[in-house]
Amino acid sequence: MTVKKYLLNASVALAMSAIAGHAAAECATDSLPASMEGPDGYPERALTMIVPYGPAGGSGQVAQAMAEAVTGLTDVSINRDHKPGGSGTVGMTAYMAAPADGYTVLEHIDDAASAHALDSTKPNPADDLIPLVTSQITFSQIYIRTEEDRFTDWNSFVEWVKAQDGKATIANVSKEGSMERVTMKFITDATGMQIQQISFDKGAPRYGALAGGQVDALFEQPGDVRSFLDAGKFKPILTILKEAPDAFADVPDLVDAGLDFEPLLRFRGFYVNAGAPEDRVEWLKWAFQKAYCQEDYQAYNESKFMTLIDSYRDTDGSKELITETVAQYRAVYKTMGLEVK
Amino acid sequence: MGKLTKGQIVEGAFWLILAAFFFAYSFEFNNNIEIYKYGATLWPRVILLLIALAAIGQLLDQRKNGDAASTSKIAAIHEDSAQDSQHNSLGWYINTFILLCLPFAYMIVPDIIIEKTGTPEEGTAKINIICGAVLFLAYIAISWRNHVGAILTLPLFFAAMMQDMGFYALAPVFIIGVMILMGERRPTRMAMVMLLIYGILIAFFVSLLYVGLPTGYISPFYDFGTWMVNTFQ
Amino acid sequence: MDAFNNFLTGTVTLFSDPIGILIFFGGVVGGMLFGAIPGVSMLTLAAILLPFTAHLSPEHGIMLFSVIYCTGVYGGAITAILFNIPGAPENAPTAFDGYPMTQNGEAGKAVGAAVMCSAIGGVASCIVMMAATAAIADWAISAFGPPEIFALVFFGLAVAASVGAKSFWKGWLSIMAGLMIAVVGLDPVGGLERYNFDMPYLAAGIHFIPTILGFFAVSEIFVQAEKKATGSYNAPKLSVDFPTFKELWQHKIAVVRSAIIGFFCGVLPGIGATLAAFMGYNEAVRWSKDREGFGKGKMEGVISSETANNAATGAAMIPLLALGLPGGALTAMMVGVFQMHDMEPGPLVFINSPDLVWVVFAAMFFANLSILLVGFLEAKTIVNLLRIPFQYLAPLILLLATVGAYAVRGLTIDVVVMFVAGVAGFFLRRSGYSVAGIVLGLILGKIGEQTFAQAMQMLHFEFSGFLGRPIALGLLIAGFITILASIYGAFFKKVPASSSAG
Repeated sequence: MTVKKYLLNASVALAMSAIAGHAAAECATDSLPASMEGPDGYPERALTMIVPYGPAGGSGQVAQAMAEAVTGLTDVSINRDHKPGGSGTVGMTAYMAAPADGYTVLEHIDDAASAHALDSTKPNPADDLIPLVTSQITFSQIYIRTEEDRFTDWNSFVEWVKAQDGKATIANVSKEGSMERVTMKFITDATGMQIQQISFDKGAPRYGALAGGQVDALFEQPGDVRSFLDAGKFKPILTILKEAPDAFADVPDLVDAGLDFEPLLRFRGFYVNAGAPEDRVEWLKWAFQKAYCQEDYQAYNESKFMTLIDSYRDTDGSKELITETVAQYRAVYKTMGLEVK
Repeated sequence: MGKLTKGQIVEGAFWLILAAFFFAYSFEFNNNIEIYKYGATLWPRVILLLIALAAIGQLLDQRKNGDAASTSKIAAIHEDSAQDSQHNSLGWYINTFILLCLPFAYMIVPDIIIEKTGTPEEGTAKINIICGAVLFLAYIAISWRNHVGAILTLPLFFAAMMQDMGFYALAPVFIIGVMILMGERRPTRMAMVMLLIYGILIAFFVSLLYVGLPTGYISPFYDFGTWMVNTFQ
Repeated sequence: MDAFNNFLTGTVTLFSDPIGILIFFGGVVGGMLFGAIPGVSMLTLAAILLPFTAHLSPEHGIMLFSVIYCTGVYGGAITAILFNIPGAPENAPTAFDGYPMTQNGEAGKAVGAAVMCSAIGGVASCIVMMAATAAIADWAISAFGPPEIFALVFFGLAVAASVGAKSFWKGWLSIMAGLMIAVVGLDPVGGLERYNFDMPYLAAGIHFIPTILGFFAVSEIFVQAEKKATGSYNAPKLSVDFPTFKELWQHKIAVVRSAIIGFFCGVLPGIGATLAAFMGYNEAVRWSKDREGFGKGKMEGVISSETANNAATGAAMIPLLALGLPGGALTAMMVGVFQMHDMEPGPLVFINSPDLVWVVFAAMFFANLSILLVGFLEAKTIVNLLRIPFQYLAPLILLLATVGAYAVRGLTIDVVVMFVAGVAGFFLRRSGYSVAGIVLGLILGKIGEQTFAQAMQMLHFEFSGFLGRPIALGLLIAGFITILASIYGAFFKKVPASSSAG
């Protein structure tokens, strides 16, 4: 597969989805009422959104896009309060300590589900929190340099890695039990290849390591390396989904590669404390779900490759997604021999 | 030989105890990491070993050469603190240490009381406020004759209480407290300076730049904090 | 002459747009102000402004941040000189000689030297940046992998251990203490919680901003307060007596040397201006005939440190713009500005938006030049802060520091950490330890452990792997030589009893 072809495919798919989105205007929450009165004058002041990650990363940006969409819809302003650290546990702790009055909401990602799976004393996002909306769902891929000549696709990569006798390297995140590390374990178990993972806690050095030839491959989600893809510097060789989305039709998926495991997804969503007054929660659900279909938010999701697979879940859908994810992680952790509390 | 002063022994013991404590604690997280055989403990343990070596080396050196030992050619730059005998005695150190513990007691004690007595959600604010008041009175009593200790401790109190009581309510009290400790006694001056500093901070950070300072979690401080934010933002 | 033409186009674009001019001067003044107000720094300003940049055009947003970067690094020198409170870690070595100069009544001279040298270092590095961004960036990421960066950190720590403390042992103990503080939080390989004593907030680790504010700003207030309590407080002497051109010309070699060091350190991702300033200062000491004079108010110390840290600003833009790899906290926020506009810094920026790149380059060039003009005016005003009676200045600085510490991550634990560091700094400084060494240990410790782990994973846990990487090997050897030299200096080459014993 050539780069040009891939780019062409990607852009055609994007254009198609954009046209479909606009012409048919079939967005997930179009059936919700266009406006809704809050109970007893609520909200009478600005909301606070706690974001357990920094303002510049993926979570910070989705928080900003969603906050602006909600404000655009309801005229209620939202102050974002970034509390990064401890893989999201710090923001979660701070959120649980804040008064549950419906004025404070939380952004969080699937890490909250895996943290709860490992240690059930940590809040369960489907139970201790009420998901307002899940607004981004994405998948992972394996990338190599486009100019790489030692291997060019998934099959030749696996062959090459096996020949290196454990000395081949792939850049990955630095958190045991995370979606990324568990998925890599699935892959190495299924292919029988041995590869040394190099741990990076920040995105930029991870991408730099592949661009500079310090590592042989990279594990990442497409939205995060989009600039490298568009520039033709990186190319995906494996899509970690059972069925590849149209934009990556030429990249082998798990079925093509003969790998048999349930892929884990990355998802980002918005939550409110389960102790908040019920009628306020109903209003928040409406505001966040309706905001998902605001034009600006949709445009943002598109720019982050978040429209390639269905990125939307309402409250019940999110609860289902989280509960399934927790169960999945718990099973994996037990087989990995991790201590599950 | 035998030129070690009491201070040097205390200093050396401090580093050695610190290293030993942290080394012992490192067994808490001595888990295997699948992709890294050195695990999470190698790096801190090597540093602790080097700290222990350097502390012993310093003690031996001082024993041999006194305080002039191995002074680096680039002279010390921070020798500007007043080494007053009054602030060097053992009594002063003990008094100051007790003072410094008080703010941390506020961060721990209320939670223990709440847990032990099984206080319901609504009563926790009261326990926090009462504990805070008791500890603050203890602070005033203990620091009565220890001016420097009082200065060191006050900001810690401010910081420890901020999560519960918020920046907006505590800052005016803190400004006045610092001024009193720095020797200001004229009430009108204090009130004016307090209003000026508080006003500048609110106008600049809250009104102009929309910085979200902590509002606190417990009533009535939380209500005051959110009221301030809504009024000035 | 392509670069020159592009630069002219960028300049014209920049100054033909009234909003652009407004934002440019807003950035110049804002960076200097936040740098120069004790307790807050350019990072505070940048963190506050980041969400607002969504409403600016991408050119204006990036330009604003790069201007703040240039002027903020300079602004931090002012508080380092006047109050012994470095506005950012890269200004710490400036305080070594700058603050003693204030105490000697030479505040104006020190500030003047900082103004001149920041501008020179910044402009020089801008010129190299404009000429060679793409080429340098490609070289840097392929030549500098984790093993090389680890070796550089090792070298940097070896250099820093010999600066600022009272003895060889205390220098190393300071660095080691900083490295241990960096260990608190999640480990960089497995994400295991270390030394957080079951406190969830401590799992976030200890951030360098509150620590710097504590060790420098708060502990300085405590030291002065103790003097006030014991009656030995002397208000700092005020002077607005700027250095003459002739005085500065004497230090031309120091300026050139520091500019080169600063530029080199700035290019490397994750290291940046802090190490640049330390190495610039240390080389100045090493090359000097009058080593004893450093730390007591020698203008060359201020010059070396300030030239180097501003020279690093232009260099740090190279990996950012050409590769999308930020070197430090402020450049990481610039990535955020790009992304808010659906752009990613990296090779594509040069192809897709050359206008943006050259407007930013031009803005940085003129921001560094404007340090000369606005900087002198501002310095004359800021020096007057020294006139405020201490009992009113103290609560103001403490509260500004509180806002500054809190605003970085929105955690009250950071305010607690800051004041604990203040108390610790108060006691450590009495005993001759180097708080700057602790801070450098803290900053480089995180990078050091992470790159060490990555290097070991890459080299399959064999130290001999370093032999196959000449740059890493060279830096490691240089580090060991530095350590051996400082041991030799401390124990075998006894100088006749130095003047400042005890």
